[in-house]
Amino acid sequence: MNSARTFWLLLIALFVLCFGLGAGLQPRFQAIENARGQSDNFFILIFGDSSRIFANAAFIKADAYYHSGYYPTIFDNNQAFKTPHMAEDTGAVPSHNQGDETGFMGPPRNWIDAFARHFIPNRHTHLDQGGPTDDLSTSSEVREILPWLDLATEMNPADIRTYLVISFWLRTSLHQPSEAEHVLRGGLRDNPGNPQLLFELGRIYFENYHDPDRARSIYQAGLRSWAMEKPGVPFSERLKYDNSTFDDRFVFEQLQVHLAQLEGSLGNRDAAIEHLQQAERASPDTAPLQKMIDELRGKNP
Amino acid sequence: MNKIFAVAGVVIKELYRRKDFYVLFVLTIIICLIMGSMNVFNDREIIRYVKEICLLLIWISSLIIAITTTARQIPAEREQRTLLPLLAKPLSRTELVVGKFLGCWIVCGLALVCFYAFFGVLAASREHHWPLLNYAQAAFLHWMALGVVIALALLGSLVFAAPSSNATICFSIVAAILCLGRYLDKLALATPEPIRSIVYSLYFSIPHFEIPFDMRNLIIHDWPLIDWKFIWLLGLYLLAYIAFFLTAACLIFRRKALN
Amino acid sequence: MNDPIMPTILSIQNLRVEYPLRDHKRSVKVAVKNLTLSVSAGEVFGFLGPNGAGKTTTMNVMLGFVNATGGDILLFGTSVRQPIARQRIGYLPEMTYYYKFLTAEELLRYYARLFEIPRPETDRRIDAALKLVELEHARKRLIKTYSKGMQQRVGIAQALINNPDLLILDEPTSGLDPLGRMKVREIIQRLKDEGKTVFFASHELGEVETVCDRVAILHEGELRAEGRVKDLVAEHQCNLEQVFLRVVGFQN
Repeated sequence: MNSARTFWLLLIALFVLCFGLGAGLQPRFQAIENARGQSDNFFILIFGDSSRIFANAAFIKADAYYHSGYYPTIFDNNQAFKTPHMAEDTGAVPSHNQGDETGFMGPPRNWIDAFARHFIPNRHTHLDQGGPTDDLSTSSEVREILPWLDLATEMNPADIRTYLVISFWLRTSLHQPSEAEHVLRGGLRDNPGNPQLLFELGRIYFENYHDPDRARSIYQAGLRSWAMEKPGVPFSERLKYDNSTFDDRFVFEQLQVHLAQLEGSLGNRDAAIEHLQQAERASPDTAPLQKMIDELRGKNP
Repeated sequence: MNKIFAVAGVVIKELYRRKDFYVLFVLTIIICLIMGSMNVFNDREIIRYVKEICLLLIWISSLIIAITTTARQIPAEREQRTLLPLLAKPLSRTELVVGKFLGCWIVCGLALVCFYAFFGVLAASREHHWPLLNYAQAAFLHWMALGVVIALALLGSLVFAAPSSNATICFSIVAAILCLGRYLDKLALATPEPIRSIVYSLYFSIPHFEIPFDMRNLIIHDWPLIDWKFIWLLGLYLLAYIAFFLTAACLIFRRKALN
Repeated sequence: MNDPIMPTILSIQNLRVEYPLRDHKRSVKVAVKNLTLSVSAGEVFGFLGPNGAGKTTTMNVMLGFVNATGGDILLFGTSVRQPIARQRIGYLPEMTYYYKFLTAEELLRYYARLFEIPRPETDRRIDAALKLVELEHARKRLIKTYSKGMQQRVGIAQALINNPDLLILDEPTSGLDPLGRMKVREIIQRLKDEGKTVFFASHELGEVETVCDRVAILHEGELRAEGRVKDLVAEHQCNLEQVFLRVVGFQN
């Protein structure tokens, strides 16, 4: 028999076998209950749970870009960047920063370190404040953080803060509220009813679309979601002044304060005051809130 | 000097007749173009992540070219027996080593010109400006750093018998210096004596070519130009290491029997 | 004995070469033991000996590939430790390997640069060398496309590019067909007629007897016989092959 013919026949037989095996086994694998196997997210499919590590790295990378490369490594004091500044500046994410904001590098350790600092970013700057050249006309360069944030959402759709940060910068510095809304709705698909996402969505409708009614509905939906987050825990527990409740109280306070602002802008003074009083329950510093209440009362004594 | 340039010329000819450089160059272009074509929130002006990926690929490709080209120069000549008719000419071993180094270095320089030209065009397509002096600074220091790597690989090729083991060791050393070189002194502080002293000695004795590597951040994020005196000083520092490694290579090669 | 009138081109003086053996005793192998001989200008000198006699080692020292443990070799009065000593020599190794990515012309031009031959002269010599070895038609082809015979001829061409006064050949006819061997003999004769000196190692005693003026026979690192071919043949009253066998101790 011709050896070339034998070779081709063998190849075809093997191909048929492989295809048949694949077709036969595929329904069996589909039946296995595995969230990863059924995921339509490429990164989760490939990396599984470890995609969250990569997502966090991408998020940090975005903050490094926000600082034009001036960023601590694992060898530096990174307490100043515990909450990334690009997230802190949005006002939608609570800040846990306590360290030295500008001098994480410290003084030069030796002549090599001193010399090397001429060749790396060595000044604390923010992209939305002019960046390394202090040129405010380049503030829209904050767009450069977006690819890494986008990657972070792909790798870990459950990380809420990424959506908040993207949405904030798209909305404010880049003036793309529709893109911001699209991002938040994508986040809500993966995290249904998340109060932080609803809060940010409400801000878009109020501050960009100037649709207070819709914004109010969204803020109130956020409050309802917040209330249902921990069904067994009473409100008093959730709002008590404690480090462990910091983030929880922050969300509640943000929603109440923005509802108050919304109602205040529409002339609904009583509703605004009520929301501010609710916010006081959660706030560690009630003085500014009390001042706002007094101003509202002062308008119409 | 004419003999040294003659040896260097043959090295250059060898590279452009091999396919390595073209493959790496095309691969870099393809990856960068794919990255650049990604749609990020319909914003066509985002470019820095592409610049970062491009510069990283340029560094990786240039290191591959530098180490693989250099690691096989003299061992390949020995293996293919072209070394004997070469050294039967009035060419000293020192001239051969220096000529090989110069050839590999020029080859890497030419490759860098192509890579950085592509990088400049890619960046300018979105940024609409050409910080040519910044690119020149980065490319020059990149080239000097590669000179140190080439001299190290050449020294390794005279110490280690097989080009593959030399290349592996060189890649490992280079990767370690690029990742950890800047922080060895911090690591030293966290270790007890006598390891601390050893690590400190290592920190002060290794060539810190991670400095040009870290300089990528200045290019990516559009930092202003570095003072030229620091560029020349760093160039001089790296040149001193090149001279040191080359001298060591010449001393070793002088005593090596070639039978 | 050397011709007293002609100057000495090559002078080997008490050459000793030892190689350390990698054993626990740190012993050494003596490859060449106190070898002394010289070659005059215009001679064709045959360097003979069985495998392992020390011929290649001696040639390696002569060309600077290996350092001598003792003694020295002078080429044109200059120690072989200095690269300039090789300015007036040409070398054809036993196994001819050249840069596969170069053409024959590029290879010759490269070697000519190493001899610092001026450009116009280089062009002329390349043409002459390629014509001599009948490789003009293939000068632009890469060496990796050459046959073994063509590579051998490239080797001859590169050995002659600097118009050497001393040509050192290591088994020049090894692996060649009868036509190739005849060509090599013709080249050697031509060089001799031009007054060049040829020093070559070979196992082809028939050829050695035909072309050589003087020979030296080495065995176990020592010089066992040296002199004019016809004198040695007359002394032992047999052909060179039998002289060789007697000298190395395989007397029939």
